Amino acid sequence: MDILKQLLSEADQAEIVHVHGESTTVGFEANRLKRSQVEETTGIALRVVKDGRLGFAASSDETATERLVTNVLESATYGDEVRLAFPAPQSAPKVTTFDPVISELSIPRMVKIGQEIIELILEVEADAQVNVDLTRGVDHLSITNQAGTEVSFDRSPLSVSFDISRIKGDDVLMMFGVVGMTVWDEDYLAPVRRLCAQLELAKQSTSIQSGRMPVLFAPTGALVLGLPLMLGLNGKNVYRGISPMARKLGQRLFDDKITVVDDPTLDGKFSSASYDDEGVPHRRNVLVERGVLKSFIYGLKTAAQSGVESTGNGSRSLFSPPSPSPTNLIFEAGETPLADMIAGIDQGLLVQNALGLGQGNVISGAFSNSLSLAYKIEKGEIVGRVKDVSISGNVYDLLQQVAAVSRETEWVYSSFRLPYVLLSDMNVIAKE
Amino acid sequence: MRDKIQAALRSSKADYTEIRLQEGEATTIVYRGKDLETASAVIDVGGIVRCLCRGGGWGVSTFNDRDDLLTKVEQACQSAQVVQSEEPIELAPIPVSEARITVALKHDFRGISMAEKKALSEEYNNILLRRSNKIVDTTAIYQDAFSRVVFANSEGTFIEEERPMITVYLIAVARDGDNVQTASESVSGQAGFDFAQGRHELAQAAAQRAVNLLSAETVVGGQYTVVVNPRLAGVFVHEAFGHLSESDFVYENPRAQEMMSMGRRFGRDLLTVFDDGSLPGLRGTHKYDDEGTLTGRSDLIKDGILVGRLHSRETAAKMGEKPTGNARATGYRYAPIVRMTNTAIEGGTTSFEDILGEIKLGVYACDAYGGQTELESFSFSSAYAYMIRDGQVAEMVRDVILAGNLFTTLMNIDAIGSDFEWSHSGGRCGKGQGGLPVTFGAPHIRIQKVVIGGK
Repeated sequence: MDILKQLLSEADQAEIVHVHGESTTVGFEANRLKRSQVEETTGIALRVVKDGRLGFAASSDETATERLVTNVLESATYGDEVRLAFPAPQSAPKVTTFDPVISELSIPRMVKIGQEIIELILEVEADAQVNVDLTRGVDHLSITNQAGTEVSFDRSPLSVSFDISRIKGDDVLMMFGVVGMTVWDEDYLAPVRRLCAQLELAKQSTSIQSGRMPVLFAPTGALVLGLPLMLGLNGKNVYRGISPMARKLGQRLFDDKITVVDDPTLDGKFSSASYDDEGVPHRRNVLVERGVLKSFIYGLKTAAQSGVESTGNGSRSLFSPPSPSPTNLIFEAGETPLADMIAGIDQGLLVQNALGLGQGNVISGAFSNSLSLAYKIEKGEIVGRVKDVSISGNVYDLLQQVAAVSRETEWVYSSFRLPYVLLSDMNVIAKE
Repeated sequence: MRDKIQAALRSSKADYTEIRLQEGEATTIVYRGKDLETASAVIDVGGIVRCLCRGGGWGVSTFNDRDDLLTKVEQACQSAQVVQSEEPIELAPIPVSEARITVALKHDFRGISMAEKKALSEEYNNILLRRSNKIVDTTAIYQDAFSRVVFANSEGTFIEEERPMITVYLIAVARDGDNVQTASESVSGQAGFDFAQGRHELAQAAAQRAVNLLSAETVVGGQYTVVVNPRLAGVFVHEAFGHLSESDFVYENPRAQEMMSMGRRFGRDLLTVFDDGSLPGLRGTHKYDDEGTLTGRSDLIKDGILVGRLHSRETAAKMGEKPTGNARATGYRYAPIVRMTNTAIEGGTTSFEDILGEIKLGVYACDAYGGQTELESFSFSSAYAYMIRDGQVAEMVRDVILAGNLFTTLMNIDAIGSDFEWSHSGGRCGKGQGGLPVTFGAPHIRIQKVVIGGK
């Protein structure tokens, strides 16, 4: 029997989500091809609204529909009360997220890419141990609800992650990078080349003294500043009253060089799609515009709880109900060339990678991170790696005064596009 | 099912083949603030086939549909043949095992209605909410999961195991203006519903601590003598040291082997660290690991000296050592890798009072609020902390983040308490494949010269 009909005989609203995925991975360990894996994923997730209460159930056993229907109805009996309406059909922007070049990428080609990456790194650092994982897949998601929405889309994610460790005695350098895309990008080695340049710079060691100084955050390092904002902009944290940005819409919270956008409509990016995981059309959302707080991100449920519209940020995995999540999170480029930023620093720190991202009381904006990779800038030049250095501060204080934002931006960790950000006066703690 | 599995294994053209099938159900109740956020039941079934071709490498196939095991075995074999390896992968020998491990839960949560589970979560959530008007947000999570895992390999091992897990996780968030503070408590075990009941004091503790943290000052950064409570010490030894004992880190890396060479001094004579997957009642405990190797105790540091490391069959063969029963997988999506089970710093002889002893100015750091390590470097946030003044625990402080170098820090441990305990909070280890249940154990320890970030 049709599941939708079956659900609607007892519930007022119903949603059925089918997921189907296939992926292939090749993995290199310690510079050598080690394994190959194929993965097939199927599943079905149901939500119903019954007497104003929301229920959720899911199963990776597609034949277990009877138990699934029982489970979702039971879940709704005890479920939370929420005035949520599954969306009626709406047109969405056309976003390209499927590319046969990726879905048909042969295993030998994937192996070759992995070898290219390892060779590039070993050229710079012959003693490095490199692990590389390449995964290409085809994901299919379909969403059907009683309001008439029937959305389905295919995506072809390709993700290449690589980590490097270099050990000399007790001196260790570890670096990590990941590239994600849904449309083939010929320039897939660019992030690896950037990482190689960093490795090259790290060969020279130097030291730095504690104190206040200008700190330049590279795109990977700028996540220290980006993560608290990402949490603060999440409508769920706003509704729950724990976001420091709650009730501050329209206020100037940051320097006017700061503009933050969530954009799932970019072709070929890792977190792009025409619709979100609840069948709401995706759109570009400006969250912070020249320092002024413009919007939070919401899914259907948090939007209903907050009395606003979903921003198309409902995100889910098979076994958990949708919740708001950023897609491609972008800190817009500024006007200063990176070279000029570095040239203008007499004595300062370049933060490449921080340890302990996301740990501590992140949502408050407070951070304190030791730096796994940082460089000293002296008289306008990067002079070498510094170790045992940490930085601390509060994003909500620090970002009120930003010295410069670079013209250059980089995609990092698949779903973030960030510039270099210069703060003119920060506390740096170095171990004597 | 057994016939189908064995037929599939027989059909394999690989040198070694294993099949692991899993089926399970889980119930999750989540309260957030005043709202019941989730009351859900999920069904999860799936499997994994892993093949090894000696001229090739590992080939893996994972799936939800378990009907066509023959095809999955063929897929895994094909994948294994794609991998061309100059150096063949060997597996250290283990005895063939045949076992059926069932659990009898005193109060089986599968027989409890969702209404009763919801009521229990609501009770805890109400305690969190009502403790103070400064509490602005709460999370009360109840989760139970029961799965059956069948493991079989082409050497003849056939193991069936039932795996229950029950968890209560409570978080309180207190706010005063822009000052937002969080505190949490949790318990988790391979146990029945009674294990989740009667945990009201945990809710009280979390809520009270969140409120107390509001009036705590941020610690003044600097170098301190630090006393670490058992829960934080356990997480520390797992994260900062334990991962280096996992042989997949060293087995193909001569420089890492040098760093982790047996006989190297890692601490003072009083430091002993071990991993033991066979201790009854702990989260990381199973009779066999996910390659069918019997689990047991492995001493890692004994009397300050590095004496052991953790192995899978592959790393053991490569390094000419014995498998230790530490090949573990986070469910059927993953091939097993070397993981810890229940890892601990062994209890010492010093009382808590004597540990505080002569400390004029120090920090007493409690519970972990997150941590990250990159080999020698580590960074840990403590959930809450106190200053130590003239040998006494004094005012509460917050934002205490311990950072440093593993080797110097282990050498700087100069007192180990007699108050050893296993932490029954829901420890999970995220290495590579996401959360796998583990347990941390330790007494109070004292570390000299720790750098603490702060204002």
